[in-house]
Amino acid sequence: MTAIRVLGMVFTLVASIVVWPSSAVGQSVHSTIQRVQQRTVKVFGAGGIKRLHSYSTGFVVSSAGHVATVWSHVLDTEELTVVLADGRKIRAKVLGAEPQLDLAVLELNAEALELPAWDLEADSSDAGPGTRVLGFSNMFRVATGDEMVSVLHGVVAAKAPLATRSGAFETSYEGTAYIVDAVTNNPGAGGGVLTTRGGRLLGMIGKELRNAASNTWVNYAVPISELKQPIQQIIAGKYRARQRGADDKDAVPRFRPLEFGIVLVPDVLFRTPAFIDRVQPGSVAATAGLQPDDLVLFVNGDLVQSCRVLKRRLGRLDAGGTLKLTVRRGDKLVPVELPVPDKPLTPAPGQPKTKPSAGSK
Amino acid sequence: MRPSRMRERRTGWVPVWLAVCLVAGPAVAQDRPVADLETREEQAFKEASAVVAPAVVRIQTVGGLDRVGRVLTGTAATTGVVVSPDGYVISSAFNFVSRPASVLVTLSDGRRFPAKIVANDRAKMVTLLKIEAAGLAVPKMAPRDGFRVGQWAIAMGRTYESPLPNLSVGIISALNRIWGRALQTDAKISPANYGGPLVDIQGRVIGVLVPLSQRQAGRTAGVEWYDSGIGFAIPMADILATLPRLKSGKDLLPGLMGITLKAGDVYASAAVIDRVRFNSPAEKSGLQPGDVIASVDGQVIKRLVQVRHALGNKYAGETITVLVKRGEKSVEQKIELTGKLEPYTPTFLGLLPVRKKQGEVSKGVTVRGVLPESPASKAMILPGDRVVQLDDKAVVDTAGLFDVISRRRVGAEVKVHVDRGGAKRTLTAKLAVVPSQVPAVLESDVIVAPDPKPADLPKTGRFNQDLEGHDHSFWAYVPETYNPAHGYGLVVWIHPGSDTMEADIHDLWKPICDERGLILVGPRAKNIAGWSLNEAGFIEALVQEMQQKYRIDSRRVVLHSYSDGCRFSFHLAFKYRSLFRGVAASSEPLRLAPPENRPDLRLQFFLSCGDKDNLHRLVQRTRTRLAAMKFPVVLTTVPGEGHSYPPIPVLDAIARWIDMLDRI
Repeated sequence: MTAIRVLGMVFTLVASIVVWPSSAVGQSVHSTIQRVQQRTVKVFGAGGIKRLHSYSTGFVVSSAGHVATVWSHVLDTEELTVVLADGRKIRAKVLGAEPQLDLAVLELNAEALELPAWDLEADSSDAGPGTRVLGFSNMFRVATGDEMVSVLHGVVAAKAPLATRSGAFETSYEGTAYIVDAVTNNPGAGGGVLTTRGGRLLGMIGKELRNAASNTWVNYAVPISELKQPIQQIIAGKYRARQRGADDKDAVPRFRPLEFGIVLVPDVLFRTPAFIDRVQPGSVAATAGLQPDDLVLFVNGDLVQSCRVLKRRLGRLDAGGTLKLTVRRGDKLVPVELPVPDKPLTPAPGQPKTKPSAGSK
Repeated sequence: MRPSRMRERRTGWVPVWLAVCLVAGPAVAQDRPVADLETREEQAFKEASAVVAPAVVRIQTVGGLDRVGRVLTGTAATTGVVVSPDGYVISSAFNFVSRPASVLVTLSDGRRFPAKIVANDRAKMVTLLKIEAAGLAVPKMAPRDGFRVGQWAIAMGRTYESPLPNLSVGIISALNRIWGRALQTDAKISPANYGGPLVDIQGRVIGVLVPLSQRQAGRTAGVEWYDSGIGFAIPMADILATLPRLKSGKDLLPGLMGITLKAGDVYASAAVIDRVRFNSPAEKSGLQPGDVIASVDGQVIKRLVQVRHALGNKYAGETITVLVKRGEKSVEQKIELTGKLEPYTPTFLGLLPVRKKQGEVSKGVTVRGVLPESPASKAMILPGDRVVQLDDKAVVDTAGLFDVISRRRVGAEVKVHVDRGGAKRTLTAKLAVVPSQVPAVLESDVIVAPDPKPADLPKTGRFNQDLEGHDHSFWAYVPETYNPAHGYGLVVWIHPGSDTMEADIHDLWKPICDERGLILVGPRAKNIAGWSLNEAGFIEALVQEMQQKYRIDSRRVVLHSYSDGCRFSFHLAFKYRSLFRGVAASSEPLRLAPPENRPDLRLQFFLSCGDKDNLHRLVQRTRTRLAAMKFPVVLTTVPGEGHSYPPIPVLDAIARWIDMLDRI
């Protein structure tokens, strides 16, 4: 254990010598805020009708005038304006975007700007829960003209994936995010930045997001480590948007509980627990020892909270693998494994007979 | 690194700290040059949470209701704290509000166990769970007498898919909140950390995070304050003190005496007993209306509010000593508190008072009608009689008569002194329970249009409007014959999700409003898909707006709703007890626990449902549940109907029901 500790020391020592840029050393929070505000801009575009705000935030990523911001309806206009920290209004256009990361890069329509800009390589950092952070954004459009964007303080609550497989969040971004204990994600705050108190860039504040599972609003930022490469590539004109996996929501289920010999209790409630009603004799479920009244809790390690979710999980199984279930039997958790049939179901009646790619990806 | 700091600490935490160090290492290292107080505090937050982290567990639930009232209960993971090495885990009762079929606990090391719900503390809203595990890490507890407002407080949860618990940092912002049950913190408290620990900077548990509200009871009360900077924690010391009782498997209930105190400024008035509940501990010990409470358990009581503070942490089964002043005498009583009082049963005489017009002065209560088969009718009280005295109490007005009757018990005989055309008569009536039927015929109190029409008459007919100061709109129907000299009933139509039904409701209710002297108002949910709990304030403001613009009879303000709109109207009725006198709910059961029936704030229910509706049995159960709390409730079953808005004969019955809400 001592060895590990020493190793850790060596590593951190090296890191602080090599990575730390001289510009950020010894800054107070006050100078951090000034420095970050200089690099944060207000973005004005489409919206303004029926609770769609027409503004958001951006941060300057090149002194020549590139601004990274959140990909949203605000950008959906020819009349895109960026207001710099000093109040200058400059027309902008969308240079490129990565909708899966909720990221867009704007190009300012002006010559020889020489703006103070973030150096994405040297200025960015990473942080764990408990790290004190600052959030900068044009939330609620409070700052007007040359007024500096608003600052909030808090700590990193967690660094965790936003999109769980249970689909708790409706977001295009599915990677790990900083979840913050300050209310950073307000209207217009998207595209703002999250930094440490020392002024290191941690992430870009995302859109407003509701957690469908706990029915609460979530405040989060997309880590800069995820955005760095796409931003640089978009600026260099070399970026190709990622291919989005086909949406499997409407896909024809590939397997049903019945394929395994499992008959679930009737699904009468919105959240009927996935109790097994009957096990068909001679089926793989019977061979694996599943019993009536077993409650299916986990499918391949993921919690299933209802019959509906269980059916959805089985619907997405890959053919020919192993299905790992954990059931609750009395007070015990019992793991079982079932072979998945090699052939998925043919489309159910009522579905189009030939649906290219569905069910075969 | 930092050898001096490490030596200060106990040995057990070192490996844990190391783990954090490895995960969060780079960030800490890079911020090292900013070696100031803030950075060291930040390090202390991380260390404190690392010390407690092994005892913070993840809780997942399977099955259960998807919503309780209008609160969507999460299927998301929640948090618990280990309180004994042999597998007892404490959590917030909120986490089990959906009555899950199965509860799973995942320890910090990834081991997973099915859990049993052992018992609930219904005063502090915490739940004790048990898993079959041993040798669990139990966190240190922060001593209760060391709490200081302003000290650091770190809220922890284990709800994200991350090996580390989630944190929010704040301070203790107040002590002794919610009648001494909780302390307050400005750390962000939400379903992400309900049930988790609030930890001090030394890594000791201050308390367990729960949603609470000082205005409401119940497991979802206070959830609307999530992430607002107002959060509550039950001191761990208090939880550990009740742990042996919880372990025995019996729920702990808040201790009740069975008295209500005379209304007044709670911070200035003395604690004068107003009512003593029938068969309650207070009645059995001989407390009487008019007694002034002077001390509870030796604590001197000078003001009303102190009684609540003194009782806030008392449970059913505990005995308290109460000293009261009765006239010149001082009486001391030992009272064993109960968890459940016999519900108050409203009494029924069965007469309809004449509704006084604006400016009309007359002593006593003149009888407009007598309900068939009622105690009043059996006592031969006649329309036109003027009630001037009841037993030994002079009757001045309707409110006074209602108050006297509400203090009598069902079955009691009362002497009703009436003035019949100048002749005094004394009649004897035996008070009954409120009937669960609406009479087939009820003559309406006809209102004629004002003549001449005043110039400043408010809007009449059907109109649309935005409510000032709210991001909401509403529609309303006011009879064209509106006469400000008369009091009108107010029907607040709470539409179901995704359909405001405006045209239908207007067409069906317009003739009823015209006939019965009612004003109909239809608020619109911000999101047409359905009502959210935090829109309650809008409804309250809307009713107050109508009361300001029109002359509304406060005894006939009702909520009317159909299908899932009823969930919101039940919530409103229970939240604003002083505003609403009735709920007419169609085709939807009550999914909340009904509150206490209060003698001073009358609340009545009219339920209707088709017998082919899937929800019919649940609606019947709703009737039973409300009746068990002694709320007057009418249930009308519509033969042959499925899930549909009630037909005209039922609406006529609702209209008659509204028209007799001011009956005595």
